[in-house]
Amino acid sequence: MNEVKDLTGDLRYVREVVQRSERRPAPRFIYILWALLCLVGFALIDLAPRQVGLFWTIAAPVGFVLSALFGWRHSVVTGAYSGSEGLQYMLHWLGTLVAVFLVWLLVASGDLSHPGLGRAILLVLALGYYLWGLHQVRAMVWVGILLALAYVALGFLGGPVWTITGVVVAVSLVAAAFMGGPGEQG
Amino acid sequence: MSRDEGEAGAGPLESLSGLDRLLEHRVRLAVCVLLSRSDQVSFSRLLVLTGETNGNLGANLRRLEEAGYIAVKKEFADRRPVSWYRLTRQGRSALKGHIAALDALLHPPAGDRAHSDGERAQG
Repeated sequence: MNEVKDLTGDLRYVREVVQRSERRPAPRFIYILWALLCLVGFALIDLAPRQVGLFWTIAAPVGFVLSALFGWRHSVVTGAYSGSEGLQYMLHWLGTLVAVFLVWLLVASGDLSHPGLGRAILLVLALGYYLWGLHQVRAMVWVGILLALAYVALGFLGGPVWTITGVVVAVSLVAAAFMGGPGEQG
Repeated sequence: MSRDEGEAGAGPLESLSGLDRLLEHRVRLAVCVLLSRSDQVSFSRLLVLTGETNGNLGANLRRLEEAGYIAVKKEFADRRPVSWYRLTRQGRSALKGHIAALDALLHPPAGDRAHSDGERAQG
């Protein structure tokens, strides 16, 4: 009976250690990088629409490579490397980006108006953040809710919708970078 | 630490349930569970997570390494030596067996529970 008690105590210790391991700092650089890219990339649609294609053709692959490098660096700094976790991270956001691209196709086929596209993308991003928050980083749930609120608010606002969308996404990403934990210092 | 001494001989639990004696130690079990959730974890990260002293953690890691349950790779990051630990296939298999044994011990099937309750009542 005592041995079973010991086992229960040991398992409690193991659970505490595992819970501690789940409180990993967020890879801040990745969030801030994408905040900057989204801010510039979205605002360009209002300010210089002709440059948007060129911008994302360069920014998307560069952002992806830099994210992988920052992710690897983050693993070294925090002392835990998980390829499967990295793959899960990548597949989630790649899937979200593909969904954004597929929404774009609705405009090309004439099923969605151009002003509506910004809101539709915001909705896809809101869902992406919300699901990431549910399954991985709890702070992201709030970012998802903030984006969904912005989606509703934009329906009643006029003006530079894409710039506002870019600002909301950037602010959400920076907030997520600092909500996820102490973050990477180096 | 709590049951390290028990490794000298198999106790009643080991003989009955097939628990892995090496993994009966809570720090070693925690280390293996952590390593099963990541590809590699550094010594300093394990130190923070387990809350053990440098020497105690090092000794336990050595035991696991000697048994072939974990492997270590030493390299330099920012000119500082870093030891990365990973669970070997043997360690993963041992952990799986140990967890199954623990589960069976702590959550016995209804029939077994009734049987042991009966034995206790007779004793």
